[in-house]
Amino acid sequence: MANIKKERSREVYIPTSSMSDIAFLLLLFFMVSTVFVQEKQFWVERERWPIAESIERIPRNHTTTIYVMRDETILIDDIPTRIESSDDVFVANTLVRKKADDPELVVCFRTDRDTKYGVMSDVMRQLQDAQTLIVAFETQQRMD
Amino acid sequence: MKIGRKRKGKAEIPTSSMSDIAFLLIVFFMATTKFDVKEGIRIVLPQAADGSSSETQSLTLTENEMTRLQIIEDGSISVNNATPRFFEIGELDALIQQKLRVNQQMIFRVITDREATYNDMVRVVDRLKAADIEKISLSTN
Repeated sequence: MANIKKERSREVYIPTSSMSDIAFLLLLFFMVSTVFVQEKQFWVERERWPIAESIERIPRNHTTTIYVMRDETILIDDIPTRIESSDDVFVANTLVRKKADDPELVVCFRTDRDTKYGVMSDVMRQLQDAQTLIVAFETQQRMD
Repeated sequence: MKIGRKRKGKAEIPTSSMSDIAFLLIVFFMATTKFDVKEGIRIVLPQAADGSSSETQSLTLTENEMTRLQIIEDGSISVNNATPRFFEIGELDALIQQKLRVNQQMIFRVITDREATYNDMVRVVDRLKAADIEKISLSTN
């Protein structure tokens, strides 16, 4: 008579000892990559940006942001300024310095959509003087 | 007298809930992280015109080579000095396509009034970019 072996039921076991290591690695990634953006007094909220369709992604590593408020206050490097005459060249001087540090500099505008175009024109004139010619108008994506 | 021998208990910190805590923290960071992506309309400005430069030259362009889009204070648009009127997005697209049929290399000059809003300018530039036009000039009056 054939000897029939009885199958032993093996205990199925998934090793979970390294689970916390993986979890902590993920946690470290999020903690390192998270940048808390502090809302500034001069912050132009995303809802106040113009809406456009043909937008493109702009690499962050060569950008600087200029905020232009509805009251024509300009914020560059967290310093508020205004352009009231041709002698107000703070924007141009700041950009000359930045351009020297990064020749591929892209200037991003976060401008309130109801800002008068005159102030934008003045700022762009100073950009030309500073030879920072690549600009991006930050917009919201049109949804429809 | 019987002296009881102390049994050595094995000291242990329970770590079974460690992964639960870590995952809770991950969920918190994932929920609160907002990637600050920059998206917008990219434009390359022309070099600043230097009046003293001998390289500066004036060109006279015809309507078949350049279209003037003049944005008035109230947001209406005058095309090649015609009477200004308001354009819907579809009308702007149709106008741009009509100009491109005349000349595929058409230059579009957007002249925005200083009192017009930034939104008016972006609206027009957006439609030009949507039509893959690269030759866009921005100026004011």
